[in-house]
Amino acid sequence: MERILFYILALIMIGFALASVMSRRMLRSVIYLLFVLCAVAGVYFMMDYNFLAAIQLTIYAGGIIVLIIFSVLLVHHIEMRMEIARPTRQLLTALACSLGLAAFLSVIYTYDFQVSGPGPGTEVSVIGAKLLDYGEGGFILPFEVISVLLLAAMVGAIVIAKGTKLSENKNEVK
Amino acid sequence: MDMETLLLLRQEVSLLLIALVLLLFEIFANDRNRAGVVSLAIVLFGLHTALGFMDMKEGELFGGMFRTNALIHMFKNILNLGVLIVLLQSAEWVKKELIPQNRGTEFFILMLSSLLGLQFLISSGDFLMFYLGLELSTLPLAALAAFEIYRMRSSEAGIKLILSSALASGITLFGISLLYASSGSIYYAELQGAISENPLTVLAMILFFAGLGFKISLVPFHFWTADVYEGAPIGIASYLSVISKGAAIFILMILFFTVLKPLMHLWENLFYLLSVLTMFLGNLFALRQQNMKRFLAFSSIAQAGFILLGLITGTTLGVATVIYFILIYIFSNLAAFGVVQAISTETGKEQLQDYEGLYRTNPKLSLVMMLGLFSLAGIPPVAGFFGKFFLFTAAASKGYYFLVFLAVVNVTISLYYYLLVVRAMFLRKSEHPIPYFTNTVYMRIGLVITVIGILALGLYSPIYDYIYALSSTLN
Amino acid sequence: MPLRITENIHNWLFSVMPEGVASLVEMTLIAVVYLTIFAVAGLFLVLLERRVAAWFQLRIGPNRVGPQGLLQTMADAIKLLTKELTGTEKADKFLYNLAPYFVIISALMALAVIPFSAEFHAFDINIGIFFLIAISSIGVIGILLGGWSSNNKYALIGAMRSGVQTISYELSVGLSLLTMVVITGSLQLSEIIEVQKSGWLILQGHIPAAIAFMVFMISGTAETNRAPFDMVEAESELGAGFHTEYSGMKFAYFFLAEFINMFIISAIAATVFFGGWLSPFGITESIPELGVFWFLLKTMALVFLMMWFRWTFPRLRVDQLLTLEWKYLLPINLVNLVLMALLVWLNLTLRL
Repeated sequence: MERILFYILALIMIGFALASVMSRRMLRSVIYLLFVLCAVAGVYFMMDYNFLAAIQLTIYAGGIIVLIIFSVLLVHHIEMRMEIARPTRQLLTALACSLGLAAFLSVIYTYDFQVSGPGPGTEVSVIGAKLLDYGEGGFILPFEVISVLLLAAMVGAIVIAKGTKLSENKNEVK
Repeated sequence: MDMETLLLLRQEVSLLLIALVLLLFEIFANDRNRAGVVSLAIVLFGLHTALGFMDMKEGELFGGMFRTNALIHMFKNILNLGVLIVLLQSAEWVKKELIPQNRGTEFFILMLSSLLGLQFLISSGDFLMFYLGLELSTLPLAALAAFEIYRMRSSEAGIKLILSSALASGITLFGISLLYASSGSIYYAELQGAISENPLTVLAMILFFAGLGFKISLVPFHFWTADVYEGAPIGIASYLSVISKGAAIFILMILFFTVLKPLMHLWENLFYLLSVLTMFLGNLFALRQQNMKRFLAFSSIAQAGFILLGLITGTTLGVATVIYFILIYIFSNLAAFGVVQAISTETGKEQLQDYEGLYRTNPKLSLVMMLGLFSLAGIPPVAGFFGKFFLFTAAASKGYYFLVFLAVVNVTISLYYYLLVVRAMFLRKSEHPIPYFTNTVYMRIGLVITVIGILALGLYSPIYDYIYALSSTLN
Repeated sequence: MPLRITENIHNWLFSVMPEGVASLVEMTLIAVVYLTIFAVAGLFLVLLERRVAAWFQLRIGPNRVGPQGLLQTMADAIKLLTKELTGTEKADKFLYNLAPYFVIISALMALAVIPFSAEFHAFDINIGIFFLIAISSIGVIGILLGGWSSNNKYALIGAMRSGVQTISYELSVGLSLLTMVVITGSLQLSEIIEVQKSGWLILQGHIPAAIAFMVFMISGTAETNRAPFDMVEAESELGAGFHTEYSGMKFAYFFLAEFINMFIISAIAATVFFGGWLSPFGITESIPELGVFWFLLKTMALVFLMMWFRWTFPRLRVDQLLTLEWKYLLPINLVNLVLMALLVWLNLTLRL
């Protein structure tokens, strides 16, 4: 049962990932991406990483995708389609991608992975304690650095949003 | 954990405090005193830089996620000094362009958070902190590059920087995940013994290196460099070219010389190839640039190629020469960028032909520029010569004679285009030269520090000895 | 004997077919049961809303179809089923048809985690509340897609407003629930109810809990896009908002989902603040079957509260809405969270 579910999820992921890259309409790409992310959450649920799965749903599906949809809504027209590359270029890209994929797959499949023991646990309380732990294996420093990162990103975003209108002529002052 | 160990975080904490003080200042500032932020930021950061020179103990924090020692501490000081110069040189531009738009404080906050990211990057003890440091140093930079958002070029620079760095950090992350898969740890200390040579780790190393290659703008990953430097505000371009590049090289050195040491015979060849490519491409493209910022961008690509020459050795000598070279490179490049900044802020001119006859109208600036360019080119009396000379010695000591030969060929090429600028300033006459202008105090201090740096590093040898003594702590 | 019934069915299923098939059939059965609840609850709530509205406006409301108009919404639903499905030119058909399902599936998934009683609880996941928050953040995608793919200005504006509103108010919903989690120490809904055996959380956590409750109800109302926060479908400005171009059953999906979301918000509030299926002071502790009754009673009281809001307050403007969230509710919430943490730390909570 688990195995079948996993393969179904994996197929969804791969299929929609391809669809997301190949679709010529922006918003559809985004929706396919959403399905990929939801399938990833499904894999987390299967592994019993409920917290991670919920995070995946809230942050990626509910947060990032909504933001992307917003930006697409603000930018694009409904008829807008992406242009198609020339056939030779398509062929080259496909060739390069499949070569890369073959290389990665062969490397990963030939490697003899060591199965690690059970982790510290997946309950929220364990995760919370780890995030606040400043000793060995604790994550308080990254946790705090991320908050600085978010602050900086926010300041940056505000600065960009504050900008006045674009103009070409102020650029080239001769 | 007690106070004393927490003091190891001193540099980062004080940087963060400065950024927060500036944030508070912005909240309470009104239109009259808003310009005060420039002085406040520079004075605070100057204090921070000065305090940084106090001794710091060696140690680890947070279970090995953060570590520091004399070498890392010294490198942080180098970065601080570089950023101080950048801030001094940008002060006038901030006052003139940003304060009226009410965006001055953000410039400093973003710059300092980027520096904070770099400091976390170089004292990271595991790949999580490495990645966060990388991101924290890059994200604010993208906003900074797009700071003059009303100029198409600047917003283009921001977009290019964020896209290429997102790709780069994605690749790096994939490499890190493969490393983790092969050894089950992200801590450098644990990885050090666990890495053996097999296809997976080799793949991981290449991917990881590709990500850092973007930051250093090595050749296959250099496409963003010229456009971003040209479009970004000059202060940001100089920050990108010296500070973030220097820090990336430093962490590259730490990781490849310790964690990835078992793969040395592989990355030696990789560095060899990229070094040659980077030098040639950077220099040949620099030959035909007319815009000073693009010109300096390609020159900085070429310099990265020289730096790889020192990295290839993997020895203490290599470490010492690379750090010494970076230090010199910071001063020389900032001297050149500083002059470009001064002229651009005053007149808005950035083309090579605008510099014709500069010596007649602004002799001091021309001299500083000349000194910087000579140092970048590596002409004997100034520091750049010793920097390159030591790099070549380090490479030669491992028997890379042909590589050194190629590097010397490149130095010759670079000499040509650096001298083109010098010729334009000193020998050419122009109908419309840049008129005489006086610089502000901040700019003057900024330029004087670079000049002192270039001269002192070339003439005062104990600095190199000091770096060499510390370098042995890395291996 | 709900437990006994489900157990019997479970045993019977596993005795007549192989294990894999049996569990599949069981899942299907549970899904069918929940779909039925979904439909019935939705239809009942629509009727309730109309009756309540009529009561507030001194009318009678629907009273012809069936006793007290009980079958009115059923008739409406049948009418909607037979209606023609219309669409717009140049609309992205795929997304247009997909959009209602996002809304309805997310509502349905949320319903699965809600504990109707001690046994009547389909999916007692250990991150319960957080799962609810996660799921509810997906519904807005359906609204955004529906608004955009209708190729209609009103719909697009409505969808954008909805997106802004939902993203903003999600924070307050999450934070106010987090405040209560500080007391319970668990995210699992069954454990949250277990904790309340020594007093409902709104009493245990007194002041901060009351604040959290108010914030939760306000932001919950906003998240379901109901009046006074219904800029999304402000009739006077936007026609019908994001579902202007939808008709027939697809429109009914949006409509039902709105009411189910209201039910879910009330159910969460009842569970987290008012002890879920626990009876007041444990008066019916010996009869666990009454759990469903108590749960529905509390939930319906809160649903009535939300309807009361709708027919009492005038609609806010968009800027007022955002000001309310970012300048008032969010800071209040953050302070409240700290207050609650202090309360728990200093052991000042009230226990019976």
